[in-house]
Amino acid sequence: MSAIYNNCEYISKKQVKIIFDGKTYLAYEGDTIASALLRNNIRLVGRSFKYHRPRGIYTCGIEEPNALVQIISEHNEPNTRATIKRVYDGMEIISQNRWPSLRYDFGAINNILSPIFSAGFYYKTFMGPKGFWKNLYEPLIRRSAGLGKPPKNFRSKSTHQYHNTDVVIIGAGLSGLAAAKKFINTKYKVLLIEQDSYLGGVLKNSNKVKTINGLTSQEWISETEKLIFNSKNITILKNTLVTTYNFTNHLIALEDKFAGKKIDLNKSELTLHKIRTSNTIIANGHIERFISFRNNDLPGVMLASSFEKYIHRYGVVPEKEPVIFTNNSSTLSLLKKLISLGCKPKAYVDYRKKDNVETEVKKILKDKEIPFFSDAEIEGCDGNKKVETINIRQGKSFNKLKSSMLCVSGGYNPDIHLFTQSKGLVKWDKNILSFKPDTPFQKTITLGSTSGNYSFKKLCDEINEKLSIFKTKKVSLDINLNVPNKFSIKELWETKKKSNSHWSKSFIDLHNDVTTKDLKQAIIEGFDRIEHLKRYTTNSMGTDQGKISSINSLAIVSKMLKKEISDVGTTTYRPPYAPLSFAAIAGRSTYEFYDPERQTSIHTWHLKNNAVFEDVGQWKRPWYFKAFESETMYQAVQRESKMLRENAGILDGSTLGKIEIKGRDALEFMNLMYTNPFTKMKPMTSRYAMMLGEDGMIKDDGIICKISDQHFIATTTSSGAPKVLADMEEYLQTEWPNLQVYLNSITEQFSTFNISGPKTREIMMKVFPDIDFSNDAFPFMTFKNFDYKETKIRIMRASFTGELGYEIYIPPKFGLELWEEIFSCGKEYNLIPYGTETMHLLRAEKGYIVIGQETDGTVTPIDLNYNWMIGKNKKDFIGKRSLSRPDTSREDRKQLVGLLPINRKDIIEEGQHIVELNELPKKITNPIKYLGHVSSGYHSPNLNHSIGLAMIKGGKNLLGHKFFVTATGKTKNIPVEIVNPVFIDPENKRLTS
Amino acid sequence: MILIKCPYCGERDQSEFANGGEAHIIRPKNPESLSDKDWGEYVFYRNNPKGIFYERWVHTHGCKKWFNAVRNTSTDQILKVYKVNEKRPDLSEFQNTLKSPSGEPSVGSGNFAVKK
Repeated sequence: MSAIYNNCEYISKKQVKIIFDGKTYLAYEGDTIASALLRNNIRLVGRSFKYHRPRGIYTCGIEEPNALVQIISEHNEPNTRATIKRVYDGMEIISQNRWPSLRYDFGAINNILSPIFSAGFYYKTFMGPKGFWKNLYEPLIRRSAGLGKPPKNFRSKSTHQYHNTDVVIIGAGLSGLAAAKKFINTKYKVLLIEQDSYLGGVLKNSNKVKTINGLTSQEWISETEKLIFNSKNITILKNTLVTTYNFTNHLIALEDKFAGKKIDLNKSELTLHKIRTSNTIIANGHIERFISFRNNDLPGVMLASSFEKYIHRYGVVPEKEPVIFTNNSSTLSLLKKLISLGCKPKAYVDYRKKDNVETEVKKILKDKEIPFFSDAEIEGCDGNKKVETINIRQGKSFNKLKSSMLCVSGGYNPDIHLFTQSKGLVKWDKNILSFKPDTPFQKTITLGSTSGNYSFKKLCDEINEKLSIFKTKKVSLDINLNVPNKFSIKELWETKKKSNSHWSKSFIDLHNDVTTKDLKQAIIEGFDRIEHLKRYTTNSMGTDQGKISSINSLAIVSKMLKKEISDVGTTTYRPPYAPLSFAAIAGRSTYEFYDPERQTSIHTWHLKNNAVFEDVGQWKRPWYFKAFESETMYQAVQRESKMLRENAGILDGSTLGKIEIKGRDALEFMNLMYTNPFTKMKPMTSRYAMMLGEDGMIKDDGIICKISDQHFIATTTSSGAPKVLADMEEYLQTEWPNLQVYLNSITEQFSTFNISGPKTREIMMKVFPDIDFSNDAFPFMTFKNFDYKETKIRIMRASFTGELGYEIYIPPKFGLELWEEIFSCGKEYNLIPYGTETMHLLRAEKGYIVIGQETDGTVTPIDLNYNWMIGKNKKDFIGKRSLSRPDTSREDRKQLVGLLPINRKDIIEEGQHIVELNELPKKITNPIKYLGHVSSGYHSPNLNHSIGLAMIKGGKNLLGHKFFVTATGKTKNIPVEIVNPVFIDPENKRLTS
Repeated sequence: MILIKCPYCGERDQSEFANGGEAHIIRPKNPESLSDKDWGEYVFYRNNPKGIFYERWVHTHGCKKWFNAVRNTSTDQILKVYKVNEKRPDLSEFQNTLKSPSGEPSVGSGNFAVKK
């Protein structure tokens, strides 16, 4: 009834302490959590997903469906496979999905209620009433069904690494090592990837192979590893799992840098390898499958080869007297090993006929007087949270045996996951009763058991033949075996239950608690296509992806449908092969590296002056400045807006995109890109311009400065800059390669300040006493270059607020200095800094549009009444032809208008709908006629009432009409009047003052 | 993630590139002379075949150059890349290289991973 120690070279003698569910246990360095628990005779490690059934350790590797635990000492990492996670001193682990404790789990009531929880239960049951799903059912189900709890917030330091190689060998077992040996000291660059921390695969996990070339398996592994290690062209990656096989031989592999070690928070814990290779050799072996029988999920049921692996790889014999249940020849080596350790299996149950069972098996069983049941099967097992009795059916008779462990082998599946991910075709092989790789889609070679070759003796020929495309020498392998060379198996997927009880279950998917009965029910209900059936029953949809059971379910389904298994087909294998942490995928792209911030040269000043920031693209822009701690955004914006129209304000406009356009044909190019005509424009003047798409819709706007016919500077919106530059480049390269024009992004070469307000001229004269700012010398929409201290600046007369304004361009190095100088000069004129929100309010008062606010990709300049911007006499520009398409010239398009609340106290908000009804009906039966929407709405501190800009169908002809806007959360609508969208200074007196 | 051979820089990861849709669509020299239908077709209509497709790519995070490529849209294989000013390769050049993943039929999708 207890585990014993087996001497094993992979486990160190050093003892470590681990904590499982609050109790401390002793383990050896090198143990996995599972082997450590088995060493301490812990068999119950978790509760199942749906029925909360007690579950134990089923396998010894990546395929584990049951033994998932939560690692408290690693940021609470959930759903960790106990069978692969290596322990270290002080590791703290808890079991999952149980309350209040693992032994006494309240949720186990689900098991008693299980007859109603069949396939599709949730879909059928929780249909109504309305709102119950969200508020009652879902929270309840989420609490009772499930796995671990989400990890705590932590900062991963995972990294990515890139490789370009000639050959990747996946798996360093017998075939992988033999293949790698061929490449030693050749011209090929090879990457050998092994999931475990030791090479050897089946050689180290079992004693199936006795000797190779006269050496013991261990000797052969270490000799081969040494040769490979010393070969400069081969790199070995251990603790690395290939999870993904993409197109064009692009592989993704995850390396655990801290396998068996406590994580050092200052180092990268995971490395994601992104590998480009010319050829891929898949030698990742096989996975043993189970057999469905009554209570095949009880703790104590374990796959036979996993049991064998615990003995060889981890030095723990989980049980001295297990029962062995098999339908194939592979369990001979386990039997031999147990005998050699002085253990004696309670019974050996073989589904094959006595004549087909190997003579060596029969001889050992007879010599050691072990009960042998041939042509027999396990009907089921029973016990309280563990296997206690095992019921064997032989013919019509039943034998009840007492034993605490049952080793099951239902045969082997070639591990075709990666091969099918690569789009290779698989084929059913009736000799091994499984799918094996057939036609590769990429340059993929499969070797050994992955390719369906279960004969050790044939391996050497297979390798030499399949790798003959490479210029390498032949390898020779002379292999002596502990198992028969010819694999023999008899088909068995599920054993028949003795009696039909609702509570006795025969599982097909242990992870998601799917029973064979669920499969039957799904088929009866019409889900007879394997992809539908999978989703309806959730079969093989757990984190283990049904690695030990999916082929079994295909076989059971094909029997029920009376079809060939190859007609039923497999479900689609998708990456990843095994779950990988999001932290690994993110790599270094986390926190400040996830989306880098762009800051202007004035950023530190903004911080000091209580700016609240807004994200515009990647830029941090001041949204508003708090005058005192408790000032709200509304208060600040009202204050800033009023102060600016009374005195002056300054905005950090450095984020605006700036593109320099130079070259012989710059003028022609600009005339084609923008709606406006630039030919007659005088040098050193500027113009507000618009860029359209070929469909005639507004894409971007900005001010164009013409220095000469061969030199322009265009400003763009802050977030539109990269797109505008890319579009310009595209047209230059693809449509007009004859034009000699050069483009350059100069956004970050200048700090830009927009200063405006009635007192601006006085302030500018004080800052730049040598410059004449009079209207005659410096009219609206002109610009000039000046020397300023040891640098050069450009000043442009322009405004986005409707007040007298200037824009100053200065190299960022001198930006902050000038900004501070402006403030010291502006103090006596009550100059204030303002943010983007105030800018938006002020421009709305003036009726200026904002790209992306008034426009949404369906708005033409005509819709905005900006006909004056369109160079009608130009022969062509991007989008011109579309402006006369029937749809673009419709009269009832949404057009820009202004809105005024008739009751001046009412507030108009952005996003509200404009309708003809003064009140919404209590119950809406017919769609309400929709006229348009409010695109901008503000309370204007300068007019002392709400104003709005709106896009309304046929708005141009509706001036003076009265409509209503819907109010949030109310049925009573707000009466509004359609007005001209310019609320302040329609004559532009202030602009040109 | 496929590899794309930029005709100026060489083979690079797909993430460095952006796709620009169908190639060899020339912007009309004289848009005003086109009927609404013809202009609409230039602006809005593009082919989207399963199989051989001539398309434009730009090496966005590299040399920023536009170029053309012939791609098999059903397998995602790039069969040829060529510069914007080079002649469009003939279709017959690629017919032998066509293969479909997992032998799927020309219309519809489904599970065809098993060879019969």
